[in-house]
Amino acid sequence: MTYQTKHVPPKIADFDVIVIGTGSGGGVGAHMLNKDGKKVAVVEQETMGGECPNYGCIPTKALLQAAETLDTINSAENFGIKVSGKAEVDYPALKAWKDKAVWNTGTHAGEQSYKEDGVAVLRGHAHFIDPWTLSVKGKRYTAKRFLIASGTSDFVPPIPGLKETGYIGYREALEFEKPPKKLFIIGGGAIGCEFTEIFSTFGVDVHIAEATERLAGKEDSEIGDLIQALFERKGVHVHVDSKVVKVEKKGAQKVVHVDTNGKVTKITVDEIMLAAGKIANTDLGLENAGVEFSRRGIKVSREMQTTTEHIYAAGDVTGGYMFTHVANYESRIAAQNMFSTLKHHADYSAVPRCIFISPEVASVGLTEAELKEKGIEYQVGATSTGWLGRANTSQKDTGFVKILANKKGIILGASIVAPRAGEMIHELTLAIQWKMKASKIKYTIHAFPTWNQAIRSAAAKIDCK
Amino acid sequence: MQHIVKRAGHTEPYDEKKVYAAVYAACLSVREPSGSAELVADKVMTDVNTWIEKKHEVTANDIRRQGAKHLKAYNPDASHMLLNHRIVW
Repeated sequence: MTYQTKHVPPKIADFDVIVIGTGSGGGVGAHMLNKDGKKVAVVEQETMGGECPNYGCIPTKALLQAAETLDTINSAENFGIKVSGKAEVDYPALKAWKDKAVWNTGTHAGEQSYKEDGVAVLRGHAHFIDPWTLSVKGKRYTAKRFLIASGTSDFVPPIPGLKETGYIGYREALEFEKPPKKLFIIGGGAIGCEFTEIFSTFGVDVHIAEATERLAGKEDSEIGDLIQALFERKGVHVHVDSKVVKVEKKGAQKVVHVDTNGKVTKITVDEIMLAAGKIANTDLGLENAGVEFSRRGIKVSREMQTTTEHIYAAGDVTGGYMFTHVANYESRIAAQNMFSTLKHHADYSAVPRCIFISPEVASVGLTEAELKEKGIEYQVGATSTGWLGRANTSQKDTGFVKILANKKGIILGASIVAPRAGEMIHELTLAIQWKMKASKIKYTIHAFPTWNQAIRSAAAKIDCK
Repeated sequence: MQHIVKRAGHTEPYDEKKVYAAVYAACLSVREPSGSAELVADKVMTDVNTWIEKKHEVTANDIRRQGAKHLKAYNPDASHMLLNHRIVW
């Protein structure tokens, strides 16, 4: 069998575009290009739909909803509701509910849906043989353009004894039919915090360890401090500034050696869960295609173009913000730019970031640390949510809204901790995206009694020139 | 069966012995004792076998890069030789 060795565009390509990955980074672009009349193929080696609907956002939010429901039942007496008997978690039923939520996303019919739309579905691992040729299960396909959206995998930290002792990732944690009594979560980012919320609410004795000085370490310090206080109130053991230095097996249990400021503590648990970050899936023969990448991910321009002109990349594999909504945004930009001379550019100035614990945590734009690093003078407008009418009627008085603005009052960043922070943050996302002054929010009527009133209140504390 | 796309464009079945031989030669070229070179070559060959397991078709350069990547942990100089000098493949 011979093949073209000169790396020139094929005169007749099998497809206009081949998209690697069917998650948000790939799927959105594939559908856009298909609607645009292009001949498209998608390559998927795992579950159609990718991480978010199958193992990420959707199943975790389904479990978080169950946790919130349990909390609501347990606090029903505060609202004059008598509950006879104790509310308990029925794990097989809980898993069934989670599976139903995943099923409702429709990813199980994903392959059929692509095919009905006229998109070819190639199952298997994708590997570039040259810049224009992709090998999938030993068959070669050529295309005029490629979109790489192969996502990420769990990062496994090099902890002595970890592999031998055994651990689970968040995928396995979603499948518990009988939870561990004691769980140790390594990593205090969004995933670690959400699973801490889920399992601690369900009565599991949870330890969470974070190597940096606070949970959700990339966000403003108030957020991490408040999450820690909330978790500790629920009985969670929070270990910040702590590194897991060793793991060993002790009978059916596992012993985790945690080093906190030089002091090593041994903690015996039933299971260890990793939430220590992600690494880009770049094992695609990218070198054969001339696509530059690092451990962080594939190098892309703001047009989502890689170092090889006709190959684009989007989503987690580019190593930027690892959110479904960002992957979706990047995929749209890549699809738009592939065949157009009018190039769109990615703008990350207003990316909302959410952690769906109780109360929810959301932030957007720059943090205080980033403002200081950039040397931007800023002012802070902040308020607690405890005084709100809505806080009174829902008996949820923990939270705050904090807005960061430049000296002119233009909003640059914001953080919210409140029961519906994930929804609230979009008012501030809009403001940052369109470079609005805080006074625009101050002079906007906000309905009473809503959580968003706190945003107006915080904005009113910003001095606008 | 995994296939290797060779530099000239033709393909041939993956042969782990070639990986072993190339790694062994790279080790010897930087004066690694032959006994140790055998052990290292065996380990790297196993690593490359694991990597290629789920793939159907890769290039000879891919194999060379993977071999060098795994060899780096045992002998960085030999890894450099494997990556940058045509020893066996």
